[in-house]
Parts: sequence; structure tokens; C-alpha cells
Amino acid sequence: MAAAIPKKIMETTNKAMGISPEDAKITKSYIFVAFMALLIGGFLGLIQGLNRAGLLELPSWLNYYQVLTAHGLLLILVLTAFFTIGYFYASLSHTLGGLLPKVRRIAWVGFWLKMVGFVLAVIPILMNEASVMYTFYPPMAAHPVFYLGLVFIVLGVWACCIGSFIQVANWRKNNKGQHVPILAYFATGVFVLLFFALIPVAIEVLVMILPWTLGWVETINVMVARTLFWAFGHTLVNIWYLTAVSAWYVVVPKIIGGRRWSDLLTRVVIIALVVMNITGGFHHQIIDPGINELVKFMHVFMSLAIGFPSLMTAFALFAVFERTARRKGGKGLIGWWRKMPWGDVRFLAPFIAMVAFIPAGAGGIAQSTNQLDQVVHNTMWIVGHFHLTLGMTVVMTFFGISYWLVPYISKRVLTPQINKLGVIQTWIWTVGMIFMAGAMHWVGLLGSPRRTSYTTYGDHATALGWDPYLMCLAVGGTLLIIGVILQVYAVINMMFFAPKGETEFPIAEEEDNATKTPYWTERWGIWVVVMLIVVAMAYVIPLTEFIVNAPPGSPPYKTW
Amino acid sequence: MNQSFYGFLLFIFLVVPPVANFMESVMVIHMHMQMPMLVIAGFLMARFFKNRFPGFFEKWNSNGVPGILLFVIIMVYWMLPRTMDEALTTQSVEVYKFISLPFLAGVSLRDSWKKLSSFGKNSIIISFTIMFLGLGWLYIWSPVQLCNNYLVIQQVTLGWAFLTTAIGLVVYLGYNFFIDPSAYE
Ligand code: HEM
Ligand SMILES: [Cu+2]
Repeated sequence: MAAAIPKKIMETTNKAMGISPEDAKITKSYIFVAFMALLIGGFLGLIQGLNRAGLLELPSWLNYYQVLTAHGLLLILVLTAFFTIGYFYASLSHTLGGLLPKVRRIAWVGFWLKMVGFVLAVIPILMNEASVMYTFYPPMAAHPVFYLGLVFIVLGVWACCIGSFIQVANWRKNNKGQHVPILAYFATGVFVLLFFALIPVAIEVLVMILPWTLGWVETINVMVARTLFWAFGHTLVNIWYLTAVSAWYVVVPKIIGGRRWSDLLTRVVIIALVVMNITGGFHHQIIDPGINELVKFMHVFMSLAIGFPSLMTAFALFAVFERTARRKGGKGLIGWWRKMPWGDVRFLAPFIAMVAFIPAGAGGIAQSTNQLDQVVHNTMWIVGHFHLTLGMTVVMTFFGISYWLVPYISKRVLTPQINKLGVIQTWIWTVGMIFMAGAMHWVGLLGSPRRTSYTTYGDHATALGWDPYLMCLAVGGTLLIIGVILQVYAVINMMFFAPKGETEFPIAEEEDNATKTPYWTERWGIWVVVMLIVVAMAYVIPLTEFIVNAPPGSPPYKTW
Repeated sequence: MNQSFYGFLLFIFLVVPPVANFMESVMVIHMHMQMPMLVIAGFLMARFFKNRFPGFFEKWNSNGVPGILLFVIIMVYWMLPRTMDEALTTQSVEVYKFISLPFLAGVSLRDSWKKLSSFGKNSIIISFTIMFLGLGWLYIWSPVQLCNNYLVIQQVTLGWAFLTTAIGLVVYLGYNFFIDPSAYE
């Protein structure tokens, strides 16, 4: 107990004084890299959009698939991973009384491992030796150095997971019997998922692909590789989602001056997402051969189960909005809407992100249905889907977070001008994404394929019919690049130039009459074991089938 | 009451022929989902029997050992390839499966587990781990088809399910051994 008192004092001072310079530097570096990735990745996206509309012919030294690989990796891996880690390390620092020196060192090791890995992966991409796209499906094979880079990135992320576990375990030792603060709890869930999701992809790259591209083995089992990839890929998607959700539950209520939704339900949502997640990977293989219908049916059931916590989230958040607005005097069925702070970018951006999740989630449910997926599989519809889910729901939440997180770590303030810029940016991004993702969905239904540079298929009438939609896509892409520039400008401004001052880390309190959260929510050991059992249930049947009844396998191909 | 009722619902759900047929059509689902779910159904219904016949459990299972022995015997019985085959071909054995797993294994597990010492609990988990490793080995590397009703590929799949379950148990045992919850709670 005696040892706990100075600890407590440290925590309170930490909260009052703001983040320590050492901890701030970690998050600042991560966030800076994330937004640089957005800038470069955004321009690559524009190039693709213009090319697909037939407006821009790529020079001979730049291949469409090279651009697509870089765009995917930068935005899907670098932007999201660096933002997530930077944001959660700031949360751990803020809610758990500052990072331990050991944990800080681990975070830096992780940072540099990722950077080295990233440089290693980019070199072959630039040389057009790795235009395999971010899914790097065999039998397409890139230069081995590309995969070596991926291994380093995995190691770097693992380091950050372990750092967070050490930080949380230490806090729990010093605060026996207490609940881990909610944002740190979200961080634990996210890092647990990351830790386990990286295992299959590490096996894929290290055990299967590297020996194969180095020529040590001749063939590769394509189905096993795809399955391992999606066990990771799908989980990564839900890690971004969980990160965005953390801000919706914890931060947004504070910004609108309300209270947090039930602590217990929030934690249950986190546990449910962690336990049920990895097996969802199979919904990316609905059209794949080699899995029988019965098992596919089971997988669809497992992946739709994840919809349940998502619906709980939607309910909880709108309840918080309404409750807060009514407390402020909002009236009527619709009237309370007017009480929301529409002019505050820290609210507006995540709010639009949440709304975007309604069509995005509906599209996802459609895609989980075998017959419907046959229509849209590998068409532009899919690209539209993840620009809605990721490009809007997740990324706009990240943008919204940046307007308080960046000032918080740089000990500056959000000026009214930057807030206004943020509101404008949010609307530009919204309109741009509606145009672009909308056009992608529609042209996908008409059959336009995903991952294909501009072609009219010898002026075939069907392909010519796609052109107006692709033009629409290019218009959306152009708006989006304006959005990217404004957003990166705002981040740089808040990081280095805005006036000095204190910015609060917004964490909403619980309701006064909140029920006490039971302690079983803290037993991560049990949840991890349950998660492993669920994973075994989903994977044993198809993997055994793929391996025991394996076809001869495939040699490496360079298709570009 | 509530819990027993849900257990009963689960039991009914599992017995309904289309569900039972579906689960029994895949070997690993038969053994690793249907059977454990039957035990869970019994586990939930145990509350009802314990309230109804408190004296019975007190008298016959005061230290939990007889109950857990019964549980182990029933479980081991149903893990043999031969018995699974019989359940599919002989109606009376199928009926016996739907009765023995929930009412003999599930109920006695519920009544006994809390009464066991931590040594007793760990020994049970450890012996199941060893048994699962052995069965995994048997089902994966057996040179012949062990069940008339299932193909060899299904048998191999089941073997891997045993091995992965054993790995899960090892993780749990390791967690229990290395992590002292009292340091955190
Ligand atoms: C300036 C904004 C953006 C534009 C103009 C844009 C445009 C595009 C286009 C045209 C494609 C190619 C479709 C194809 O040929 O299959 C694409 C693919 C993709 N985009 Fe974007 N995008 C933007 C922002 C984003 C963001 C913010 C993310 C995620 C954080 C993202 C993630 C992806 C991914 C993962 C792919 C798929 C690559 C693949 O299929 O291998 N994009 N984007
Ligand atoms: Cu998915």
C-alpha cells in the first residue's frame, strides 16, 4: 500500500502536467510517419484514379501495379499501424502514469525495426521487383528482400505489443484489484489481437514464401498461404475498427460534454471483438476453392457474429448522443440534433465516420453472402467497400483524433483557424469519398474489375459503359487529394507551429449511477484461451484438407 | 432455474434431428462440438438437479472424486472411434450418447469441479492433455481407417483438433503456473 501512494501521486501529476517529453516524442514520431504515409499514399491513389479514368497514361518506368502495391502498403500498413501505435502509446502514458523507461525503449526498438523493414520493402517496389500488391498472394512472387522487409515490420509491431503488455501488467501489480482504465483496456485488446494475428502471417512469410522465393523449395501451397494471410489481414481490419471504436466510446462523449456509455458493455464489446475476430478471415475466401460448402457456411456464421458487437456499438453511441443533447435542452424526436457541436472538427469527423459505417457495414454483410459475393468478388465494388470502411470510417476517426492528440503531445493548442480548416477538410473528404466510393461500388456491379489498369478491352461496349463512373471516381479522387493536403498541413501546423499551450486528453467519465463492472472482464488469460479455441474450431478442418489433399503446388511467377 | 432452462434449450436444440445429423456428418464437429456442447448442456442443467436432490449429491459425491471419475469414464468412452461409429449405426447407442454426456458427464462435472482441490483439478487437466496428445497421434498417424462412417481425411482432421486442443490446454496450464493472479487482483 505504501508503495502505491507515491505511484498515485505520480499518476495524478502526470495527468495534471500533461505528457512527459520522452513519451510525447514517441507518439509524435509515430504520428508524423503516419501522416507522411498519407501524403505519399494519397498522391499514388490520385495517380491510380486518373489512370483508371483514362485521363493519365503512366510513363514506361512506372507500372500501375507498382503504384497499387505502394498505395496499399502505405495506407493500409504504415498509416494505420503507426497511427494506432502512436495513439495507444499516448493513451497508455496518459492513463497509466507515464510509460516505464523499459517500455519506452521497446517502443523505439519497435519503431526502428519497422522503419528498417519498411525501407527494405520499398526498395524492390521502386525497382518494380515487388508489384505483388499488399496482399502478396502466391504464386505471384516478389524479390526476397521485399518479404524480408515484411518480417522486420512484424518484429517491430510485436515489440510494441510486448511493451504494452509490460506497461499494463506493471500497472495492475501496483493497483491490485482495480480495473484497467478504459483506454488502456482498449489498448490491451488491440495489442492482444495484433500479437496473435501476426503469428499466421509470420509463418506464411518466413516458413513458406521466403524459402520459395529464395529457391530452396520449388513449390508453394497456395491455399494455405492465402488462409494464413487472411487470418492476419482480416484481423488487422478489425484492429483499426477497434481503435476507431475506442475513440467513439471514450473520447467523443467527452467532446460533446456527455458521459460514457456503460463501462461493462464497452468491455464486453472489446472482449467479443477479440475472441471472435481471427476466424472472420475466411469471409475473404468465400469464392476460394478447396473449402466445402458446409464449412463455408460455418465460417459465414462466425463472421456475421462479429456484427453483433458492432450493432451494440451503434446503439450505445446514438444513445449517448441523444442523452447528452437532451441534457442540454434538446427537444423532440429530431430537435436534439441541433444541440450537437457540428462546428467542432473533433466531433464532426468521427461522427461522419460513424454514419459512414452504416452503409459500409451493410455492404460487408452483403459480401458475406455467397451468392451476392459472386457478383462483386474482385470487382471495383470491393475497392469501394474498403474505401468506405477504412478510408472513411477509420481514417476520418483518426483525423478527428489528430485535432486533439497532436496538440496534446506537442503542448500546443487547436486554434479556431485550424478547427475551421478541419471542418472544411472533413466535408471535402466526405464529398470526395461519396463520389469515389459510390462510383466504385456502382461500376463494380457493372463488372469493372479491381486491380486493373485502364483498358477498354478493344473498345468493348460493356467496358466503354464504365467510363462515366470511372470519371466520377477521378473527380472524387481529386477532391480527396485536396483533403489529404489540408489534413497533412493541419497536422504539421499543430505539431510544430501552433501557439504553445495545454491541451486536454479528453476521456469521458462514467454516468453517476453506473453499475459496477465485474472483475471477470480483467481475466485476459481466459479470453485468450477462448480465442485460441475458436480459432482452432475454424481452422482445423480447412487447413488439414489443404495440406493432406494438397495439389502439387506452384512455382513462383512474375506476372508483371 | 434460468440457467437450467437455457441448458435444457441447448439440449433440445442439439437433439433435433437436422441439427444432430449436420453435426454428426463431420467427424471433428461430432466429437469436438456436439459432444462438448452436450456436456455443457448438462453442466447448465445441473443446477436443477442439485436443487431438486441435494441429499443425493451430498451423500454420493461429498468430495467430488466419484463424480469426476464418472465424468472421466464417460468422456473416455466417447473418445473411442468404435463408440462413435456405433452411435451412428445403432439407434440405442445414439440415445445413450444423448443421455450419458449431459446427464452423467455434464451434471457430475458441475457438482464435482468446485469440490476438487487445485491438485485434483490440475491432475485432471494434465491427464486430459496427455490423453489428447495420444489420441491426436492415433488419429493422425493411424495407417487405417478407424471409423466405418468417416473417411481417413476426417480422421486426420480430428487428430489435429485433438493436438490443437492439447496445445490450448498446455497454454492454460502454463498461464496458471507462471501467473499468480493474487499479484494483480
Ligand atoms: C486520396 C485518396 C485516395 C484515392 C484517390 C484512392 C484511390 C484508389 C484507387 C483508384 C485504387 C485502385 C483500385 C484498383 O485498381 O483496384 C485504390 C486502391 C486501394 N486503396 Fe485507395 N485511395 C485513396 C485513399 C485511400 C485510403 C485513405 C486508404 C486506406 C487507409 C486506401 C486504401 C486502399 C487500398 C488498400 C487499395 C487496394 C489495393 C489493392 O487492391 O491491392 N486508399 N485506391
Ligand atoms: Cu474481413
